[in-house]
Amino acid sequence: MGYVAAKGGFDAIRAAEDLVANTRLEGKSSWLDLDQIIDRLGYAVDRVMGEGGLWDETTAARAFRQAEGDVIESAHLVRAHRSTLPRFGTTDAVDVDEIDVMRRIVPAFREPPGPQLLGRTLDYTGRLLDTPDEDDARRSALEAAAARAEQPAVDVTEATSDVRVPGRLLDVLRQMDLAVDRRSNDDPEPADIARVPARPGAPRSAVLSTMARAESGALVALWYRNILGPDRNLHEVTLGEVRHGRLPVRVQHPLIDEQVEIGNVRVTEVEAIEDLDGPDEDRTKFDVGYGLTFGHNERKAIAMANLDIALTRADAGSFLEQSILMTTDGLDSSGFLEHLKLPHYVTFRSMVERKTVERKTDERPSTEAVAS
Amino acid sequence: MTVLDVLPDAATAAVLDESSKREVRRAILTAIAIPGYQVPFGSREMPVARGWGSGGLQLTLAIVGQSDIVKVYDQGEDGGVNAANLRRLIRQSEGVNTTTDPREATVIQTRHRVPEDTLQSGQTLVLQVPVPEPLRGVERDMHELRRMHAEGDYSKMWVSLYEDLVRNGVITKTTGYPCLVGGRYVVATTPIPRWDVPPLHQAEFLSLFGAGREKRIYAIPPHTDVEPLTFDDVPFQVEEVSTPCRCGLVVPDGDRQSYQVELPQQDGSSIWACSDTDWCSRQRVGAGLLDPATLTETEVEL
Amino acid sequence: MTVLITDQAQAAMDGAAGAALTVNGLTKHYGPILGCQDVSFNVAPGEALGIIGESGSGKSTVMRCVAGDQDASSGSAQMSSVDGGRTDVLTMAPSDRRALRVSELAVVYQDPSEGLDLAVSAGGNIADRLTAAGWRNFGQIRERAAELLDRTDVPLDRMDDPVRTYSGGMRQRVQLAKALANRPPLLLLDEPTTGLDASVAAGVLDLIRDLLEETGVAAVVVSHDFKVIEMLTRRCLVMHRGEVVEEGLTDQLLEDPQHPYSQRLVGAARG
Repeated sequence: MGYVAAKGGFDAIRAAEDLVANTRLEGKSSWLDLDQIIDRLGYAVDRVMGEGGLWDETTAARAFRQAEGDVIESAHLVRAHRSTLPRFGTTDAVDVDEIDVMRRIVPAFREPPGPQLLGRTLDYTGRLLDTPDEDDARRSALEAAAARAEQPAVDVTEATSDVRVPGRLLDVLRQMDLAVDRRSNDDPEPADIARVPARPGAPRSAVLSTMARAESGALVALWYRNILGPDRNLHEVTLGEVRHGRLPVRVQHPLIDEQVEIGNVRVTEVEAIEDLDGPDEDRTKFDVGYGLTFGHNERKAIAMANLDIALTRADAGSFLEQSILMTTDGLDSSGFLEHLKLPHYVTFRSMVERKTVERKTDERPSTEAVAS
Repeated sequence: MTVLDVLPDAATAAVLDESSKREVRRAILTAIAIPGYQVPFGSREMPVARGWGSGGLQLTLAIVGQSDIVKVYDQGEDGGVNAANLRRLIRQSEGVNTTTDPREATVIQTRHRVPEDTLQSGQTLVLQVPVPEPLRGVERDMHELRRMHAEGDYSKMWVSLYEDLVRNGVITKTTGYPCLVGGRYVVATTPIPRWDVPPLHQAEFLSLFGAGREKRIYAIPPHTDVEPLTFDDVPFQVEEVSTPCRCGLVVPDGDRQSYQVELPQQDGSSIWACSDTDWCSRQRVGAGLLDPATLTETEVEL
Repeated sequence: MTVLITDQAQAAMDGAAGAALTVNGLTKHYGPILGCQDVSFNVAPGEALGIIGESGSGKSTVMRCVAGDQDASSGSAQMSSVDGGRTDVLTMAPSDRRALRVSELAVVYQDPSEGLDLAVSAGGNIADRLTAAGWRNFGQIRERAAELLDRTDVPLDRMDDPVRTYSGGMRQRVQLAKALANRPPLLLLDEPTTGLDASVAAGVLDLIRDLLEETGVAAVVVSHDFKVIEMLTRRCLVMHRGEVVEEGLTDQLLEDPQHPYSQRLVGAARG
């Protein structure tokens, strides 16, 4: 009867909100500052920005704190916040070749043109749980910060521009005449999936936008399903580029009518090279899939690039397009999953009623008559 | 300071910005113009999760004005938690008045029910829709689904009804019963019980269906045919009432009265109650079974 | 009167007067690969025409283009039941072409899963065609389905079982029942008995022959097997590498093949 009383709904909601506030706002520990979240929980903040489809570290950190660390819930807060904001315009398209890399690896070649720049990664660090004394750890963190403040910073601008803005492997493959050229002008204006729902038949820009905003785990699961599971749309993928870097954001200035740079966003960018072996494919060449998402999230960008090329190659009857467009959004899937908690007793009553009627065999129409 | 700080208050919204509301209204107009056709729209993220009425909420936010009176209920209950939450959001965001009496309301947002009261011309029923595609049970491929609707090719649906009858002796489809609207499009009557389907046929009121997660809006305009799909010799059946209800207003095999829900008891028996709580209260007051003061109880403001 | 004269003139020009199906210059390319080239033929009402050739000869391509499963590259096809033979069905909108499949034109495929929903009962498969044609009475649909299944020798106590549970021969019988549900004037049969055991195939062939006689449906029978063509048709085309190389009465063609390829084909069948 928990749902029933006329005022019970409000009272119950208020009580639930009180319980949440007790731990989140009051709690026993000290207040969690936004800069702590941004500095120390950066991967979570990046995931929230990617899945929320909004670049703003402060907003994402705020959401992450409010959602008590639930990334999907945080992305929901960010997106619902975005629904309240009017749109003033769109940024100008930037060429991703302008990326200023902080990390770049090219698994496909030992010495590619441009650097292999390992950058900041945990890939080659043993996954051993640190168990320091808490006080020691806090003290050494403060000391390290102080020491760094005294030393002159490493001048990263010294690095030459071809290191920070390297060419990309796809261009190398094109020079070697090893890449299928699929560049076309049939999708010039990037689809805005917030305004036009992306459905099967949507342009590639809509598919890429959908994946860039998708729930990271959903993309990884769909990728793995295509490797080991029943779908098998992926074959021999080699990664060409894995990058983490900064891209400029530019808009047309409304008063002076000139392009101005207003900041930058960090992105992870991936190119996945697929070996073409289909009967109607150019088997002398490779084809490349593309992945890009806000923040540092290599897992998601790699899955995205793989699924992009898989979709290009998928058979007409494949459900891959539908799976990418319809099942990878974290808000869609988890919202619908959780709605099962809502009362369903009206519909359930209707189901029970049909079972009862089915049992009354005397009410059956004479379907057997003709078979006699 | 950000750009938002210099904007007039009207341009910023609590839940949905004004240009997005206009987008929703355009989709609604298309939906009314093509009864039963699922119009895609750029469904925005709401403060409630997908599947929790985010589609219905966008419809209501897009169509209400200051003079509207809104009723929100769920499973027939005004007091349900989700209904209470949605009502609070709508009231806070749009500054409209709310009511529990469907006769007073200009806009009624509902999940899983149609009011027992006969709605009138000028009223709008907003239904929250989890799955807008009536053919999903018989076809998963969205390209093929689009073709089937475009060509009015519903034979797969008919085959499923045929198979159902052959296997089970009755049509076992329960809620969200498929209906042909205006003789053209088959729609999913969002999980309302079959009991609630007849009031949609040639109705005086406008029904709007909003599926936020699936990003679809469809409509049944007033005075439109709504025919539940069934064979000529197999009559459409609404849910049976087999026991008198606890409020003493509904008797089995009587005239159409009220949809009943079951309340199982510890001892294995069941009692029955009207699902539409507001309707039930008013009937009981009318029959002298309930103190009229309970009807005028005002809601607490949160 | 003017209209009548025009109609007759048009029909004469088309050479389609009275023909259930007229195909002219049908050509299909799959990219650089030739499917079929400049294929022309008529099928009179009630006539069964055979198309024989090896796999890859283009015979199934012809059938699929006529059926609407594939788009032809060029050529035309008229059916007397569609707009009196004045409309080229190959140029009709895809939706209109699909509509023809309800009651103007039926196909029996070699692979039953192309013509049937295997998850659905035999009765349900027939109900699919009947409801598409507007049948809305459950009792009448049951009756008609039972009548068709009875005629095609499908045991009626199986009619409510999913077709997936049926043997290969039974599936073909259900395909035939479904194809004939709305009494189409034209039936296309693509290797209807290929893949069946010889004894089962013989039974299905007998059934097809009887059904063609009884219903008076015009038919195109596509097969690589002379025995099938011999049993079901009086006239046939021989196709080789996408083109028709010989055409004539089936008996004569078997007795006295002219084209070297036909001779080889007949020799192999007789050998």
